[in-house]
Amino acid sequence: MLIKLEGGRIYDPANNINGEIGDLYVRDNEIVAAPGDNETVHRTYALAGKIVMAGAIDLHTHIGGGKVNIARTMLPEDQRGNVMAKGGLTRSGGGHAAPSTLAAGYRYAEMGYTSCFEPAVLPANARQAHMEMADTPMIDTGGYAMLGNDDLLLQLIADGAEQQTVNDYVAWTLQATQCIGIKVVNPGGINAFKFNQRALDVDDAHPHYRITPREIVSKLSRALYELNVPHPLHVHASNLGVPGNYLSTLATMEAAEGLPIHLTHIQFHSYGTEGDRKFSSSAAVIAEAVNRQANVSIDVGQIMFGQTVTVSGDTMAQHANHNHAHPHKWTCMDIECEAGCGVVPFRYRDKNFVNALQWAIGLELFLMVDDPWRVFLTTDHPNGAPFTSYPHLIRLLMDRSFRNDLLGEINPDAASASHLGSLQREYSLYEIAIMTRAAPARILGLTDRGHLAPGALADITVYHQHEDPEQMFANPMLVFKAGDLVVEEGRISKPVKGTTQVVRPEYDPAIEKEIGRWFERYHSISLHNFGISDDEMAEGIGSRVTVHPCREGRP
Amino acid sequence: MSTLTLRLRSPLSQRIDMSPFTPELVAGRQADEVARILLWLGNRQVDAGELFAINGNSTEQIVIQSDSDRLDRIGADMSGGSIRVEGNAGAYLGCGMRDGAIHVSGDVGLAAGCAMRGGRLALDGNAGDFLGGALPGERQGMRGGSIVVKGSAGDRAGDSMRRGMILIAGDCGDYSASRMVAGTMVVLGQCGAHTGTAMRRGSLILTNAPKSLPVTFNDNGRHNLNFLTLLSRGFKDLPAFASLADKGNLVQRWLGDLSCGGKGEILITTPDLA
Ligand SMILES: [Zn+2]
Ligand SMILES: [Zn+2]
Repeated sequence: MLIKLEGGRIYDPANNINGEIGDLYVRDNEIVAAPGDNETVHRTYALAGKIVMAGAIDLHTHIGGGKVNIARTMLPEDQRGNVMAKGGLTRSGGGHAAPSTLAAGYRYAEMGYTSCFEPAVLPANARQAHMEMADTPMIDTGGYAMLGNDDLLLQLIADGAEQQTVNDYVAWTLQATQCIGIKVVNPGGINAFKFNQRALDVDDAHPHYRITPREIVSKLSRALYELNVPHPLHVHASNLGVPGNYLSTLATMEAAEGLPIHLTHIQFHSYGTEGDRKFSSSAAVIAEAVNRQANVSIDVGQIMFGQTVTVSGDTMAQHANHNHAHPHKWTCMDIECEAGCGVVPFRYRDKNFVNALQWAIGLELFLMVDDPWRVFLTTDHPNGAPFTSYPHLIRLLMDRSFRNDLLGEINPDAASASHLGSLQREYSLYEIAIMTRAAPARILGLTDRGHLAPGALADITVYHQHEDPEQMFANPMLVFKAGDLVVEEGRISKPVKGTTQVVRPEYDPAIEKEIGRWFERYHSISLHNFGISDDEMAEGIGSRVTVHPCREGRP
Repeated sequence: MSTLTLRLRSPLSQRIDMSPFTPELVAGRQADEVARILLWLGNRQVDAGELFAINGNSTEQIVIQSDSDRLDRIGADMSGGSIRVEGNAGAYLGCGMRDGAIHVSGDVGLAAGCAMRGGRLALDGNAGDFLGGALPGERQGMRGGSIVVKGSAGDRAGDSMRRGMILIAGDCGDYSASRMVAGTMVVLGQCGAHTGTAMRRGSLILTNAPKSLPVTFNDNGRHNLNFLTLLSRGFKDLPAFASLADKGNLVQRWLGDLSCGGKGEILITTPDLA
C-alpha cells in the first residue's frame, strides 16, 4: 500500500523543513522517498492549505501505574461526570482528571499524539503499569523506572560502591522493568520521609544513609551517561512546591556536573520568597540557568485553572499538601518500600494568588527559555492540568493578546507580581513542532519518529489551518499511526494498538547475585518473579516491545 | 391531569437506566416520541418502546408499572412533577432529585434517595442499603427533602446525610446514620449493630435501643425534650409516625461519635418511664 500526502505545508524541524509545501509518501508503516514513475500510488490525500507534522510525543504524562489507578478509584465522580459512551468503533470510558485507559488513548490520538511516556514506573509495579499502558489504545508507550529512593541504591552509595556497580544496577533495572529511562523523584527524600523527615534539601544528609540528594543525582546521571542511555536522568527535584525552592533546583542542575540532566515539571520548582506573601516567581533565574547550561533540558508542568488530581511519587510533598485536597480526600501509599506515591485531588483557582502566580510562572518559563529543543510542552498530566488542555496551552504560547487577556482575569496581585505581561514572544508553528515532536524524539533517543524523513515510522498528523491554534490542535484533520489512518476530523476512524518503547544497555550479569541477595533478605517476591520478559510483554501484558538503540561508542 | 404510563413488557436481562423519564425531560412529548428514546440494554441501545408499552402524554405525572428490580435511577435528578411506581424499583431511585414527588408501592434497591437535595420520596415497601446516602466516592449524602419508608431499610441508612429527614417505620440494618453530618432520622423498628458509627452531628430518634452503639458514644442521661411534641405533630398525615407522639418526650440521650467530634445525638424514647 502506497499513500501520497500531496501538497501540505510541512513542519519537520528535525530535517530543517519550516513550512515548505511538499509531498510525503507512506509505504505500509514507513515514510518513503518519492517512488519511481512506474509505481502505483494507491491513495492520494490532497492537502493544499493543510499543516503536516510528525505525530506528537508526550514525554511526561501519568497514564499508567499504581497512582493513576488509585486516582481513578478515589474519584468515581470524575468518571460519572465525564462519561464517554461506546461508539461504533470505540469502547466506553470516561474521566477528565484521571481518564480511563481507553479514554486517554482515544483522546491523545484525537489530538494528534502518537507516543506517550509514563514518567513514574515503580519497579515493583512495572508489570501493572505496562498492563495499563497496553490497555491504552492508539499510542505507543514507554516508562521511566523510579530509582533513588530504593534502599538498595542508597545502601550501595552509602557503602561507597563503584560507579560501575551503580551502572550495572541501573541497566538491570531498565531491562527488568522494560523501561526506556530512569526517573528520580525527590532524590532520597521519599526514603527520608519514612525516617520521619519532612524536608530534605540537595545537600542535606539522609537521616539514615548519611548521603545527600546531590550524590544520588550525580551517581544516577553519570550511570545513564556511561551506559549510553539516550534519555538523561529524569529528575523531579527536591522541595517541590516549597517557596524558595529555586535554589534547590539550581543545585540539582549543578549536581549533574555537566552531564545531561532533565528537570521535569520545573514550574513547581521555580518559586522565590519575595513579596508580602513570601511567594514569588523565580522563573527568570531558572530560565537563565537553563539557557546557560546546554546539558540541561526541562519540561514545564504548566498548571491550568479547574479541577484535577495530583499524583506523584513524592510522598513527602503530597503529605505536606494533603490539607489542600479538593474534594477533601487523599492517600499516600507504597509498594515494597521502593519509593512512594501520593494522590491529592486539587482545584486550581484563577482568583487565588498562589495558583494564579503558578500559572504565570509556567508561561514565563516557556517564554524565557530560548531553545525550544530543551523545553517540552507538558502539564505533568494530570498534576498541573489534564493533557486535554494542550491545545489551549499552545494558544497561550502562540497568541500574545489572548495570553494578556487571560492575564487580566487572574488574581490581580499575581498578575502584577509577574513579568508575563511584558513578554513579547509568540511561539511559531515551527517551534511548537520542535517542542512537541522533534525535541522529545531526540531527547528520548527515538530515531524512528518525531520527524518525516524517509525511513521514519509513518506517525503523521495533518491539521486544518486555523486562525485559532486551540481549534487547530484540538481537532486534527488526519492522524496516521504507523501508516494506518486512525483519526479523521478529530474522531477515531480506526482503533489500533501501540508497542512499548525500551532501551537495553549492557551490564555485567554478576550484579544479579547482589540484587538477588537483597531480594531474598527484604522483598516479598523473588528476583525470578520480578523481571518482565519480552514474551510476557507480548503475550501476557499485551504490548510488544520495540527496542531502541543506545548511543554509540563509549563516552 | 393526564398521565404517561410505562408498563414493562417482559422481565429484563440487563439493568436499565430510567433517568430519561422524568416529568421535565419528557415534557411536551407524545407517547410515540417517548417510545423512541434510546436506552442502553447491556452493550446495545434499544428504543424505549421495545421494552415498555407506553401510553398517555403527560408532563406532570409518570406512572411506571413493573415488578422488576432492575429499573435503576428512576426519577434521578428530577426537579418537579411526580412519578408513581406501581411495583418495584431498582437502585438509585430519586438519586440527586431536587424537587417533586416519587411514590413506590413495592420495594426499592440500593441507594434510594442518595445525594437527594429536595422533594419527597415515599416507599410503601422496603429499601435497600444506603438509603439517603452518598454517591460512591462522594462525601455528602442526602442534602434536603424527605424520605418516608413504611417498611424496613438495609444497612447504612442515612450515611453521610447532611440535611432533610428520613422516617423509617420498620427496622434498619447495621451502621444506621453512619457518618451523618446533620439532619434528622427516625426509626420506629429495631436498628442493627454499630448504629451512629462516625456520626459527627445530626439527630437519630429511636423507639428501641439499637443492637449496639460504638464505644465512642457517651450516655448523656435522660432528658425531657419538648421539641419531640412539635416534631411528631409534623407527622399527623403519616399514621405510622404519628404514634411517636404516644411515646412522650422522655428520652435517653447518647452523644457521639467521639472519634469525630461527638456532636451527634441518638435519642431513644423510654415510654415505660414516661
Ligand atoms: Zn514528579
Ligand atoms: Zn510527573
